[in-house]
Amino acid sequence: MKDEIILYGEKVTKTFGALRAVWEVDFSVRRNEIFGIIGPNGAGKTTLLSMINGTLHVTRGSIHYKGINITNWKPHRIAELGISRTFQIVKPFPGMTLLENVSIGALFGKDKIVNIRKAQERARYVLSRLNLTEKEQAPVETLNVSERKRLELARAMAMDPDLILLDEVMAGSSPADLEKIMELIVELNREGKTILLIEHVMKAIMSISHRIMVLHHGEKIAEDKPENISKNDKVISAYLGSKYVKRSQQNA
Amino acid sequence: MLPQAIINGILLGAVYGTIGIGFSLVWGVMNIINLAHGSFIMIGAYLSYTIYTVYGIDPFLSIPIVMVLLFLIGYAIQRYLMNLVVRGSVFITLTFTFGLQILIANICLLIWKADYRSINLSYSGASIPIGGVVIPVVRLGIFAVAILLTFLFYIFMKRTKIGLAINATAQNYEGARVVGVDVKNIYSITMGVSAALAGVSGSLIAPIMSINPFIGGPLIGKAFVICVLGGLGSTVGALAGGLVLALVETIGTSFIPSSFQNLLGFVVLVLVLIFMPRGLFGKRLYNE
Amino acid sequence: MNKKLISIIISVAILSLLPFLVTGFWVRLLTNIFMFAILASALNIISGFTGYAAFGNMVFFGVGAYTVAVLMNKYHFSFISSFIAAGFISILLALILGFLLLRLKGHYFALGTLGAAEAIKYIIDNLTELTGGAQGITIPSMKGGPFLINISFYFIMFALLVIIVIFTWWLSKSRLGYTFKAIRANEEAASVMGINTTIYKIVAWSLAGLFTGLAGAIYAYWFSYIDPPTVFDVMWVVRMFVIILIGGAGTVFGPVIGAFLLEGLSELVWSNFLNLHLGILGILIIITILIIPNGLASLTTEGKGLKGLLESIRKNRVNAL
Repeated sequence: MKDEIILYGEKVTKTFGALRAVWEVDFSVRRNEIFGIIGPNGAGKTTLLSMINGTLHVTRGSIHYKGINITNWKPHRIAELGISRTFQIVKPFPGMTLLENVSIGALFGKDKIVNIRKAQERARYVLSRLNLTEKEQAPVETLNVSERKRLELARAMAMDPDLILLDEVMAGSSPADLEKIMELIVELNREGKTILLIEHVMKAIMSISHRIMVLHHGEKIAEDKPENISKNDKVISAYLGSKYVKRSQQNA
Repeated sequence: MLPQAIINGILLGAVYGTIGIGFSLVWGVMNIINLAHGSFIMIGAYLSYTIYTVYGIDPFLSIPIVMVLLFLIGYAIQRYLMNLVVRGSVFITLTFTFGLQILIANICLLIWKADYRSINLSYSGASIPIGGVVIPVVRLGIFAVAILLTFLFYIFMKRTKIGLAINATAQNYEGARVVGVDVKNIYSITMGVSAALAGVSGSLIAPIMSINPFIGGPLIGKAFVICVLGGLGSTVGALAGGLVLALVETIGTSFIPSSFQNLLGFVVLVLVLIFMPRGLFGKRLYNE
Repeated sequence: MNKKLISIIISVAILSLLPFLVTGFWVRLLTNIFMFAILASALNIISGFTGYAAFGNMVFFGVGAYTVAVLMNKYHFSFISSFIAAGFISILLALILGFLLLRLKGHYFALGTLGAAEAIKYIIDNLTELTGGAQGITIPSMKGGPFLINISFYFIMFALLVIIVIFTWWLSKSRLGYTFKAIRANEEAASVMGINTTIYKIVAWSLAGLFTGLAGAIYAYWFSYIDPPTVFDVMWVVRMFVIILIGGAGTVFGPVIGAFLLEGLSELVWSNFLNLHLGILGILIIITILIIPNGLASLTTEGKGLKGLLESIRKNRVNAL
């Protein structure tokens, strides 16, 4: 059961005119695993994520989730299946409070809660896990960077997804925040959720991921366990340093 | 009939092009649909009319005066008024420019009254027959000036320092600011240039259309169609859009009963919006 | 909340008794104000709540008015059945136009709806057989003396206004309302969170169209004569937008407050300064946007009297460049 593949893509390709943003990427994510995607800037990581959640159309190739072909489905239908995502450049709802922002996730995510009070209860629970309870009634415009990132994560969590797509959710975090977010991701994983994350913070992603895929210039150059990734010549030549191998071996 | 209609369309198209260029400039750079643009055209027309009737100066010759005056008006309005709201929503900017438009219309109404005015030049009737068609001299003059202006504008945007600064601000407002562009000033200059172009368009149409304080509205309708057809951010596009609209109008008058003409215009507009939102030549300058 | 509820009940009570105490002029003026409040509240649903500036919204007003006119004049329907038909036709029109135009955003949507409205106006203008074309069309008027007619239309409009206000109040607290607000706030994020934005936008516009069309239906019966330039006039929508602007977009009572202010002011100006009417409206728009772009409903004194009020104004102003 643990090794069952929950999400996979076949020759997923995205081109913008002559630009190959993502080129014939095959990937598979197992149920309940933490799957990391790394690569230099412009490697196509966010583009790939956007195709999985329907924000971008696939030029070629297909994406399947729980046996269903979800290629080019509209984002809201994909959300209804139980997939949620955060954006690298956060997209909060301006003019609404944090509680309202997160409640929307509960109201329209997988469970489509109809009762507003119930949605708010779940929203409050999620906000507490992210230490945002005091700011519940604050308008989103007043939040700092770290709080906005956590809000983004809270909205995704409120949808009670089975698969969460995280796009650089740790970027710009202080070391203390980093620890907390990493703990949260591991907790969510233990609760049964599958997590796909894009990160540049090497220490974090290498230590919590079960497997890592490396993209470079839109193509997959490696897909393996973290400790093997850092030994992989292709990856090293792309950008990785071997310093991180010892640390992930210690944490394993 | 058709060849004449085509010639008429081409001659008219150049002026429509200048209307489009001015309107498209503000839209492309500041993402504002300036409903007051029609009023600027109207002011230009009224100024030409007044200068002609009071001082006897031919409208073609008073163009530089009109341009300078309208530039100042446009610059001032942007600097002291529009810059305060330019970052608001579509709703806000649209309603704001609408308020400006009706205010200006009312001012013109008080000054020039509601009667229809027109400029009758001594050479209004003169024309050049070529082949089977007739080319009125006035319209030819209008065409020539409009084309010259379009060319000058093109050079201005591509070759002058200010033109490049305007382009940079349009593409990336924050980026331009960071490299030292004074955005407030650039926006004001942009509006000034746009108003100047509008003023000239007004001077050019004054000899061939009757003027009253309410021509602003229909002119904006045309400007919008021209920009949608031709695409934003492109001088060539505005000219192309102007030509297409003018041709549709002139050919349409000959073959379609007038009541359906406007309907045709709107149908074309809606179809283009749905299927070709970037028009014939447009570049994506702002999130659509 | 209790204070608010009490003042609402008192207002409703006063407004219910008023027509029996004042002259016909005031009754008609108030009826007109109610109508604008309805129109603004309807527009508020698609524009204030959902964020789509439907500049062509008077198309529903005109279609509603003409439905009643044609059915009563040519086919001798009663007002009630024509009224209901106007409702259905408005919804149908909203579905069709919505399908075509709601994929457009921002300015394009605003002016696209205007284009569509003009197109429909020209169609009606040219279906002379059916609609009387540019000559207009008369509607058999209600039976009864002037007093009875004034009072009847007063209460008919008032009833529709109460209904739409209650509906808007429910909307502001409901899941549907959340959907609209999310779409307005960030349509892409809303979609990613599971909201089928296309369907909901159409729902919003259908609701707006329904109420606008019903108001148009009542108008036709009230005035007994309509023609295309009057009922499809873009100035109606401009006034609706200004009302929402003054009162506050996306609020429940904003459109109502705005309607009382604008139409009351209009009446004053119209009767005394006819040739300044446009200019004053223009200045009003400009000043309102500069000082209270979110409308009167967005202002609070924050418990600090005048100082708090100025604070509130400062917070709400548009970010100057």
